[in-house]
Amino acid sequence: MSRIRILLADDHTVMRTGLRLVLERQPDFEVVAEASDGRQAVALAQQHLPEVVVMDIGMPNLNGIEASRQLTAALPQTSIVILSMHSDESYVLRALKAGARGYLLKESAEPDLIAAVRAVHAGKAFFSPAVSRMLVEDYVRQLQDREIEDSYELLTNREREILQLIAEGKSNKEMAAMLNLSLYTVETHRGNLMEKLNLHTVPELIMYAVRKGVIS
Amino acid sequence: MSSRTVLWVGFGSLLALMIVIASSANRTLERIEASNVGIRQEFLRRDAILDRLRSDLYRSSIDVRDYLLNTDPQLAERRRAEVLKTENEMAAALQQYRRNLPPEESAAVDELLRDLNSYFSAVEPVLHWDAETRRRRGGAFIGGQMLPRHQQLVQLAERISQIDTRQLEVGESSLARVFVDFRRELVLTAVLTILFGLALAFLSVARVQALERESQARYQEVVLAREELHRLSARLVSAQEEERRKLSRELHDEVGQAMSALLVELGNLASVLPADNDALHRRVQAVRKLAESNVGVVRNMALLLRPSMLDDLGLVPALNWQAREVARRTGTKVRVEAEDVADDLPDEYRTCIYRVVQEALHNATRHAKAATVKVTVRREQAAVRVVIQDDGVGFDPRHGKGVGILGMEERVRHLAGVFKVESAPGRGTTISIFLPLKKPTL
Repeated sequence: MSRIRILLADDHTVMRTGLRLVLERQPDFEVVAEASDGRQAVALAQQHLPEVVVMDIGMPNLNGIEASRQLTAALPQTSIVILSMHSDESYVLRALKAGARGYLLKESAEPDLIAAVRAVHAGKAFFSPAVSRMLVEDYVRQLQDREIEDSYELLTNREREILQLIAEGKSNKEMAAMLNLSLYTVETHRGNLMEKLNLHTVPELIMYAVRKGVIS
Repeated sequence: MSSRTVLWVGFGSLLALMIVIASSANRTLERIEASNVGIRQEFLRRDAILDRLRSDLYRSSIDVRDYLLNTDPQLAERRRAEVLKTENEMAAALQQYRRNLPPEESAAVDELLRDLNSYFSAVEPVLHWDAETRRRRGGAFIGGQMLPRHQQLVQLAERISQIDTRQLEVGESSLARVFVDFRRELVLTAVLTILFGLALAFLSVARVQALERESQARYQEVVLAREELHRLSARLVSAQEEERRKLSRELHDEVGQAMSALLVELGNLASVLPADNDALHRRVQAVRKLAESNVGVVRNMALLLRPSMLDDLGLVPALNWQAREVARRTGTKVRVEAEDVADDLPDEYRTCIYRVVQEALHNATRHAKAATVKVTVRREQAAVRVVIQDDGVGFDPRHGKGVGILGMEERVRHLAGVFKVESAPGRGTTISIFLPLKKPTL
């Protein structure tokens, strides 16, 4: 069985040591390098080519968001889990836009880290339960406040299925194979649902899916 | 002595001086008038007596002549009585004339008296002549004795009259001198009064100018003090903000991170504990819970001090977070509409807008009991406009401007902005601020 190669980036040594212990309790996980700032993380990733990068958001020299952006551009195959002290959706959206697919609150890093690494390694999104809960609650409150129709109701069953698959990180080709549809049909569904929801980017779709509870 | 006392005394004495001058001038004029009348009356009295003397003399001369030339003894006797009576009258008139006699005249008047006595002494024996003697010696007496004496008396009376006239002229000229003196005195006092008045006026003007300068200086001081106060309060606000930013970062990055590391290590600790030791696991779990709740406390404290979004993500994410927080905490619906607001706003503008919105939301939920609040941020050419509108109970801005509103106003003024509150009881509250994006030159 091939092991998941992981790069750990955090400026706190104690934190790094603790997280390394957590990760290395999994027999199929391997921490290939540790970085103490963003610049070092990008350099070490290019050297070791890890499959997953676990990255602190607030680091000196280059912060976690910028480092994620550079990593995604340089190594599109690498999945990123962001560790953050902030649960606010502005931070989550920024992390997603920078290319991260996992967003973990540091306080719950220990119990959720394994699941997060496995999820992003499989191409899926992962959020700390506290974060997804907050996203959902705020969304529901906003819907009530504005008394607008929930656009989710406008989607067909097929479109909802495709929304979930996009949020889980599947490509058009993978979806076509899974659903037994032509690539063209998948692309049409994808265009329609984005138009109905008035969303334009994959990160926005992921946030939306979390808010709707389509993924967690 | 205060200048007010000086002015009171000055103007009071000026007024008193003018009254004194006027009344003394009036008195002097009255005195001059009276003495003028006296002099003339005295002159007329003497003149009248002299006239009487002259005419009495003529009459007595005529009586003597008639007496001498008349042969009728009865008629002669009447003339003689007339002459004696006239003599007595003239003596009485002369006596009257000698009253109040000026010394210049006394010699002439004495001479007149002497001559008159000698005239009558000469006439006296004639009055006892019999008719024969009168006829024989009468003509000779008239031509040789009476006429020359009569002539001399008339000349004397004339001289006295001239002296009298001269006296009158002397009196009048002395009066004229008094009048000239009086005029000089009047002019002098008028000039003195004018000078005094001018001095007083100069004093008043100088005093008024000094007062004006003083009040100008005071006003300047007040203006400077107020500016200084504004500068200080601006520095205070920015120092407080800086302190909050530091504290917030410190709490978040140091304490929060350390607690998170602690949590991870606790997890690791739990994983190496013997699986069957439930008591130990429970103890570790309790410590975990404690640490978790501490992380929450630290995070909330940091956000309350200064939300990290304001520095990490910019104004709009911070406002959105604030809106969500208020909605979560109070149930008030808060909507943020921000268009074209780039995150390149300078820090002090971001902070100012964020703090104003924070305070306005606080007021709207705490005091106004608003159900919905709308926050609009719009970027204009070289300015930012922010409007916070609520549907709460409102208030009368003329009466109660709370400390919160004054604080907002102060923050906006530091950035040379315009702050406006519109509200009325039952009509909600609208706060609008307009911030020009040029750095004010303080």
